[in-house]
Amino acid sequence: MKKSHHWKGAALLGGLLAALSLFVAEIPDARAEYGDVVINNYSDGSGMRPAVFPHWFHRIRFRCKVCHADLGFKFKAGGNEINMVKIIDGQFCGACHNGEVAWSVENCNLCHTGKPGTPTQVHESTIQKLAQPVGTAAKK
Amino acid sequence: MKAYTSILAALALTLLAPATQAQVGKDVYTKTCSICHATGIAGAPRFGNAGDWTPRLAGGVARVHASALKGTAKGMPAKGGNPSLPDADVKAAVDYMIAAVKGASIVAPEAKSAALAKPAAVATKEEAKSPAKEPAKAAPARDETAPAPRRDEPKLAAIATPAAPATPATAGQTGGASVADVNAFNRLLKPPGKRNPPPPEDGIHDPSNDGTHALAPPMTAYANLPKSLAGNRINWVEAIGQKKINPRWDRIDAAAEPMVMDMNIVREVKGSMPDVVYPHKQHTEWLDCSNCHPAIFVPQKGANSISMAAILLGEKCGVCHGKVAFPVSECRLCHSKKKDTPRAQATAGGK
Repeated sequence: MKKSHHWKGAALLGGLLAALSLFVAEIPDARAEYGDVVINNYSDGSGMRPAVFPHWFHRIRFRCKVCHADLGFKFKAGGNEINMVKIIDGQFCGACHNGEVAWSVENCNLCHTGKPGTPTQVHESTIQKLAQPVGTAAKK
Repeated sequence: MKAYTSILAALALTLLAPATQAQVGKDVYTKTCSICHATGIAGAPRFGNAGDWTPRLAGGVARVHASALKGTAKGMPAKGGNPSLPDADVKAAVDYMIAAVKGASIVAPEAKSAALAKPAAVATKEEAKSPAKEPAKAAPARDETAPAPRRDEPKLAAIATPAAPATPATAGQTGGASVADVNAFNRLLKPPGKRNPPPPEDGIHDPSNDGTHALAPPMTAYANLPKSLAGNRINWVEAIGQKKINPRWDRIDAAAEPMVMDMNIVREVKGSMPDVVYPHKQHTEWLDCSNCHPAIFVPQKGANSISMAAILLGEKCGVCHGKVAFPVSECRLCHSKKKDTPRAQATAGGK
């Protein structure tokens, strides 16, 4: 009799914890920094986390012109067809992320930090808000 | 059986209570303490730096608590300069910082400094010197202690009330969350608790990636920058104007200066909105002529048809405004020239 109580208790505790972990695991609404760019052209397909580019961090250090005129970044999230070969070759991010101006490409998980499956986007952008009304969780 | 169940539930909640407390400590740390304690401004003991904390802890945790609450002659303001904080929250934040030292004391200080945010000043050189090879080690331990996302806290707090009374901060957050829900339709309204969160909590970065925890939280860089009401809530143009930041104009050459062109373009607009004044000055501080001309704007007066619809869809001004430059919610920053209305003209003519 006592043993069955134990068993039931353990099952209940397990159930309770499972229920709690369910809403702990629930993904909160994204509220990242204005202008953070998620680039997921090839990442998901290659089993990497999408890359997240923090605009704010870079604009403290460089004016827009450096990347958008000198390095040739188009004003379009995901529109530059960046891949690791180009970066290692010194193009795009690789112009600075080469261990000389900034830390080098071997720090994969400092850029590839996005939640898997996050679509390419400029976070908080007007177009993102217009195209994704509040409440449509699927488009997140 | 029922009694047994409730005992079990109480047990589960008691186990969870410290996590909630740690979360409060972390929140307070992020919002208030980190401004100095992340980088060691004014000699503050740095977060996770055992060397800074050990001598202070020699006198016991209670003394550290007292210093945090009452301030010290060395420069610590009482309650970190935020007198509205309840004592319990200040203590929770101190405990959070102490826990970080105990958890991460093995990490070398160099790795730690690379992992933590750099101050607002340009830090590219330091960055090159200390490539963040293994900054990842620094953070995960402390963040795993409190994995519960903030959104769940109200629920947890509500259930946990009998075991551990919710602290005022938690209660405040519950209020904040419900206000956010009510106003969820208003996308321009972001409750203060949801502004500029650190990467692991921002919903885009993957908290299970160790690199995420090595990234700089925005607030560590924003402390000294002029504020605005939208976007990053930083007035970037003013930040350069006041020389709080000096972003490079060239990838390598730190001395290169932009060619600033001071020429205003006034665009008369239909309807009752004030006319638009476009200042070349602020734009050429950041951008090269070729960024806008001729692809986005034909450099000729009257040759560009611009509408708010196009801007909202990310064209014309909307290529940057509404993505990274101040968003379109700030109407009057562009629509800034009062129109000569017929009525005003009539009055002026009558005189």
